[in-house]
Amino acid sequence: MNIAWKEIKKNKVRFSILGSIVLLVSLLTFIISGLANGLSQDNAALIKDLPSGQFYMNEDADETYNLSKINRSIQDIVMNKQKDAVAFSIQMGFLDDASKQRSIAFVTSTDSKLFSNVQNGEIVLDRSLEGKGIKVGDTLTNNQYSGKFVVKGFVDQKKYSHAPVAYINIENFREMYRVEEMQLIFIPGEDSLQEITGLQSFSKEDFLNTIPSYSAEQMSLNMIVWFLVVISGMLFAIFFYMMNVQKIGLYGILKAIGVKTSTLFKMMWTQMFIITVIALALSVTLSQVFNFIAPKDMPFSLTPGSTVQLSIVFLIIGFIGATLSGIQIKKVEPLQAIQQGEV
Amino acid sequence: MALFSIDEVRKTFTNGEVKEEILKGINLSLREGEITALVGASGSGKSTLLTIAAGLQPASGGKVIFEGKNMTSMGSEEVRKIRASKFGFVFQFAHLVPFLTVEEQLMLMLDVSESTLKKYEQKKEVDKILKLVGMVHRGNSYPASLSGGEKQRVAIARAIIHKPKVLFADEPTACLDSKRSKDVMSLFRDLTITLNITTLMVTHDEEMLSYADHIIKMSDGRVLQNKD
Repeated sequence: MNIAWKEIKKNKVRFSILGSIVLLVSLLTFIISGLANGLSQDNAALIKDLPSGQFYMNEDADETYNLSKINRSIQDIVMNKQKDAVAFSIQMGFLDDASKQRSIAFVTSTDSKLFSNVQNGEIVLDRSLEGKGIKVGDTLTNNQYSGKFVVKGFVDQKKYSHAPVAYINIENFREMYRVEEMQLIFIPGEDSLQEITGLQSFSKEDFLNTIPSYSAEQMSLNMIVWFLVVISGMLFAIFFYMMNVQKIGLYGILKAIGVKTSTLFKMMWTQMFIITVIALALSVTLSQVFNFIAPKDMPFSLTPGSTVQLSIVFLIIGFIGATLSGIQIKKVEPLQAIQQGEV
Repeated sequence: MALFSIDEVRKTFTNGEVKEEILKGINLSLREGEITALVGASGSGKSTLLTIAAGLQPASGGKVIFEGKNMTSMGSEEVRKIRASKFGFVFQFAHLVPFLTVEEQLMLMLDVSESTLKKYEQKKEVDKILKLVGMVHRGNSYPASLSGGEKQRVAIARAIIHKPKVLFADEPTACLDSKRSKDVMSLFRDLTITLNITTLMVTHDEEMLSYADHIIKMSDGRVLQNKD
């Protein structure tokens, strides 16, 4: 007999209170997680969307890609050895159209499938700029560039340092920033790590952490997410502890008539599981609705993967919280309960 | 051989440096199909003896023999299994599970005793026992809607649904008025005969002794009188 479900049905209000608290905490966690992920994409989608691989910058650059200048001869050696390697540079700047000046991350690279390759005087922009009125064929200017950029097309989800990315030709980049060398080399592949004299290597995660503000931003948001997860675990522990204290007499009587302690634990775990699953299902639905209705400019990205991951964490934390509070079930003496009087 | 016997059972409680001997070597045996009443003044040790006999607390010495086996030397899981399948309990308070209906209370007990009956057979058995205790019309009621006497009847039904060999009753009429007490005791009497259950009952109510086959009077942790 499923006494766990029968108790929930008979005490709807009590369990609804716990469920609604879990719902609110998990919803808040999902939304903050969505914002953390959205900001992370907004800050570094250009890098995050690259496949696994190793990034290299000049070892004298003090782990700051802006200061990195890779010697042309080293670049040629690496590029000859690794046919799929790509050298690229990123610089923040501005683009002017007829009405407005916009902050942009200019990116240029050697020929590669991983980056948009553009001809001299052409520019390929992040699609967010299309929503701001820029169309294919428009001409844009930059005060460091003598010519005009003609918009050739748009790419999806290419952001860097909270600015839309603009792919330009190497020659135009050199003219604008007066540099000959590329800042970075990227070698795709899981096992691409290799020692290159004069260059320092970074995994993708390590490289992301060299981006100013990225790790500080992510660390703060992730701390909030995990803090909320821990709070939800504590809520489970406190709530089940209070329920168990009220039910000590009942547990004692059930033990007296021969109910196993493990059955009582299973009853509590089942209740925790039912409440958490219902609360999480509602929470996931609401967070996806929020994902749908959130303003387009809001950096919010809640993927099914991170939702499932957080939901599993919630279930594990709920299980731990409920189990900790259930230790008192093990301690209940049937005799004590009988002597205490009516349940 | 008696179905159930107690041999030189002792119980000592230690409170700091003070040792208090509650039971001082009790011997008794229960006759099959009979009601044995334990009587005595408060503090005479009758409830302690009942709970030791029922495997709800350990003895400090002596043996509790059930079906030829010494329960005091068994592990807690073995004792639990006996409590679940061979013993029935009725307490001073009904102690019903508040979120289960009357029928569900009995179904739960069948689950706990690991009954081999099929679901429909269990349902039939529940109806039969509820009829026996006169509660068949309240099968779908929750404990909160039952009177004290009705609760105690359900508690008795729960105690016998799995056909226990021994029924332990600790002051089963203490919370009932005189009329309901007599009703409950008549029920005990009838069930003991009908189902051939051996009953050990603690009571302080002299009136209830007329329903017992055998009376054991206790005083100061010893058996003072043992009469039929």
